[in-house]
Amino acid sequence: MSLLSARGISKSFGGIDALRQLDLDVAAGEAVGIAGPNGAGKTTLFNCLLGLTEPDAGSVELDGRRIDRLPTWRRSRLGIGRTFQRLALFDGMTVAEHLLVAEQARRGGIPFLRDLVERSEPRVEELERVDATMALLGLTELADRPVEGLSLGHARLVELGRAMMGEPRLLMLDEPSSGLDAAETTRLGVILSELRHRSGTAVVLVEHDLQLVEAVVERLYVLDFGQLLAVGAVRDVLDDERVRRAYLGGGQ
Amino acid sequence: MTELLGYAIPGIPFGCVFALMAIGLVLTYTTSGVFNLAFGAQAFVSGLAFVSLISDGWPRWAAALLAIVVLGPAVGLALDRLLFRRVRTASPIVKLVPSLGLLIALPQLALIIAGSVPTIAPPALFLDAQRVYAHVLGVPVSGLELSIMVATAAVVALLLVLARATPLGLQMRAVVESPRLVELSGINAGRVGATAWVISSCFAGLAGVLLAPLYSQIDPQNYTVLLVWGIAAAVIARFESIPLALGGGLALGIGQQVLAGYLPPGVIASGLRPSLPFIVLLVFLPFGRRNRIEDPLAGCDPPPSTMVEDARRYRPASALAVGADVGTRAVGLWHRALGAGPSESLAARAVRRPTTVVAWTLAALAVLSALTWVPADWLLTMTQGLAFGTVFVSLTLLTGMSGQISLCQASFAGLGGFVAGQLATQMGWPVLVAGVAGGALAALLGVIVALPTLRLAGLPLALATLAFALLADNVLFPVSWLGDGASGVRLPRPSIGPVRFAAARPFFILALVLLVVSAGVVKRIGDGTTGRYLFAMRGSETAASSVGIDVRKLRIGVFAISAGIAGVGGALYGSLQGSLVPEDFNYEISLVLLVVAAIVGLGSIGGAVVAGLVYTTLQRAVATLPTRYAGLVAVLFGLATLSYTRHPEGIVDFLAGRFSELWARLLGALRTPGYGRDAPAPEPEAEPAHGVARP
Ligand SMILES: Nc1ncnc2c1ncn2[C@@H]1O[C@H](COP(=O)(O)OP(=O)(O)O)[C@@H](O)[C@H]1O
Ligand SMILES: [Mg+2]
Repeated sequence: MSLLSARGISKSFGGIDALRQLDLDVAAGEAVGIAGPNGAGKTTLFNCLLGLTEPDAGSVELDGRRIDRLPTWRRSRLGIGRTFQRLALFDGMTVAEHLLVAEQARRGGIPFLRDLVERSEPRVEELERVDATMALLGLTELADRPVEGLSLGHARLVELGRAMMGEPRLLMLDEPSSGLDAAETTRLGVILSELRHRSGTAVVLVEHDLQLVEAVVERLYVLDFGQLLAVGAVRDVLDDERVRRAYLGGGQ
Repeated sequence: MTELLGYAIPGIPFGCVFALMAIGLVLTYTTSGVFNLAFGAQAFVSGLAFVSLISDGWPRWAAALLAIVVLGPAVGLALDRLLFRRVRTASPIVKLVPSLGLLIALPQLALIIAGSVPTIAPPALFLDAQRVYAHVLGVPVSGLELSIMVATAAVVALLLVLARATPLGLQMRAVVESPRLVELSGINAGRVGATAWVISSCFAGLAGVLLAPLYSQIDPQNYTVLLVWGIAAAVIARFESIPLALGGGLALGIGQQVLAGYLPPGVIASGLRPSLPFIVLLVFLPFGRRNRIEDPLAGCDPPPSTMVEDARRYRPASALAVGADVGTRAVGLWHRALGAGPSESLAARAVRRPTTVVAWTLAALAVLSALTWVPADWLLTMTQGLAFGTVFVSLTLLTGMSGQISLCQASFAGLGGFVAGQLATQMGWPVLVAGVAGGALAALLGVIVALPTLRLAGLPLALATLAFALLADNVLFPVSWLGDGASGVRLPRPSIGPVRFAAARPFFILALVLLVVSAGVVKRIGDGTTGRYLFAMRGSETAASSVGIDVRKLRIGVFAISAGIAGVGGALYGSLQGSLVPEDFNYEISLVLLVVAAIVGLGSIGGAVVAGLVYTTLQRAVATLPTRYAGLVAVLFGLATLSYTRHPEGIVDFLAGRFSELWARLLGALRTPGYGRDAPAPEPEAEPAHGVARP
């Protein structure tokens, strides 16, 4: 049974059909890629899956349970982490604080009660998990730096780290390599593979960098104008004539 | 039909004046990004000048010319140069506080300068106010009404011609679209903005002069009411459309008169009419500026930050995702480019340690003095300061830590006080229990305010809370089982068993304990998990909910806790004074509280405590002056906004920062003898390990 299964997702903004009757399946532990030209609806799909945008039609199931009526925070706590194509970091907070907030929030609890009744400091195990994630991502030295000063590459890693906290079962990454140089992109691929190897997290990767896609992903969806153009094993899809025409510009 | 017209036509002059106000608000907001609440005060200044000059024997035309075309723009331009120009790209609260300060200060300053309010009935701009010049379907139209309609129609027509048919108008409209594109094409957007500022100040001045004869005497109160209606009309216009501002103003003016005509007299009628702006605001605010999120240059670096701020602060429902995606990142970079912003407060935080010692020493000395030698009247002032300090602490949580601008904090305090008073005197509850119950009901009121405003932030939230404060003043507090109108509510001093807090010093201790407890709660929340959640929510609501933070509950919870603390503070104040009247906590107090809190320091508990003491001490000091200078406190607060625009972190945090700088230099000089001040400053005292302390 698939971990995430979306059926018939449609969304239009005014006159623009951003998504038309889209289906998406992700098995537990699987890595799925989504490609497509700019404006194809990839980010909108993420927003619909997480409830940040209300789709016009369609259903979303996680582990066979309908989640499309749940608010975003509930879906997140059920085990979905995501990053943002246009960075959405918390200005003024340090790298470590970003991860800590995500760790505490995704595991739930009432913050007021915790602060007043229990205590206001983070627990040791929380700090340990933050440290472990920072070590995995190579962010340890930047732990106490406010995020505003980070390079784009490091900022993307902070987004990734924040999405990884609380051990989500599904990671949705929205163009994590955009703005990174070749070396950073390669490292990102290594990190993602290691992450999947270690914790078996399923990944949905929206990505333009086909090398990164090939390195990480098993199955690839290609969208164009909100519609599914092709889906299948990465190589097959990339060799597909229609995909080459729509996506790669004229199928050279 | 005639009956309806008979109600509607007297509404038109009001509508005209509301519309003029709204047009002024929209014009400056679109061209400079500042929503200038001080227009209410500017209107009063012009109105007062007009009436004073006439009562001094000036001809009407000369008085009008001076008040509208000279004084109005002069004041407006001065304010722009001194204050608003500096805050155009700042955060919503930094933009709002100066205009609030001026709204409070300018009328008082004008009254002090004028010496006394002229007693003559204000005349119309032209024509004979009382004479009936025409009949419309049997309804008489007086010179007063006619003059207002003609004047309004004339200036609005003039503005539309200016906007559509002159190069200046084109430039103004271009600045509205994208200040940066305009700058890139070689036009000085600042100058265009200043021109718009002058024009809208004329509008405010005209509104002030026209409003005067609608009442028998000139009174600042009427002008704040005018401002609130103007705000409502500007909100209907989505802060951007001048024709809609005109239509909205007229509709509101007519609507309120028709309502007043048809509703039976009584609390509902007199309460419902003033609540109309509140309802309008709640209905229309969520639709603000939906289509103006994308700037043509969005994503370029640095972005025009007013636009990015808009994208961050206005979150129309359907565009939630886009709004969040528009570079929150870019805002940070832009702040840094300006040399301001969050990283500053981080640095300030790191060097604050030595000041903690000084602060605690001063506090201990103050408490010791209060308990030993301070005379009774000053002890009362100090105790009042502690009660207000509690209210300020509630603002620190809501506005300082979680970034929600509240202009109804005094309403929360008032509700707490009134409920406590009613329970204690009518139901015979012990005063302390009644006070806690008052706090609990205030917390409930906080939830009630938070629920309909969940989607609002920044300026729209501030306006909605202001409207709510007016609603409380007009509907909630006058009823006999709550605030009981003019007669007010008695609230005795409490006792626990044999321990009585009737005397001054025991009550001081009680107030101190309550303040410390409230401050402790806020500090613990702010330093802990909640504080981090709040900070995350401020940074990006979308991202916060994507990591599993229930942003709605968080907001509701913060509103509830803050309102509850304010309610306890209000009950404490009432018990200290022995009784409360609605004026103790009306909307004006809410405005003053926010201004004082921001000037003194919203960022820290210490700031809140100092704010409470400053607030009551200043009032006491001024109370000893002749009555002419009663408004001096307000004027001082207004002037202090000058310092605020330079140091938005507040006086307390600014001084603390300076002190620790000196301290660090001194240490450096001691450690490296012979090099003195050239030596590099030593590393500031380290933060607690791991950097997870809340920013
Ligand atoms: N909130 C929104 N309002 C209006 N149009 C939108 C909104 N979000 C996305 N769109 C439009 O939907 C289409 C798909 O956008 P998006 O999902 O961002 O594409 P991708 O991520 O594949 O580049 C685009 O045409 C975009 O302009
Ligand atoms: Mg995208």
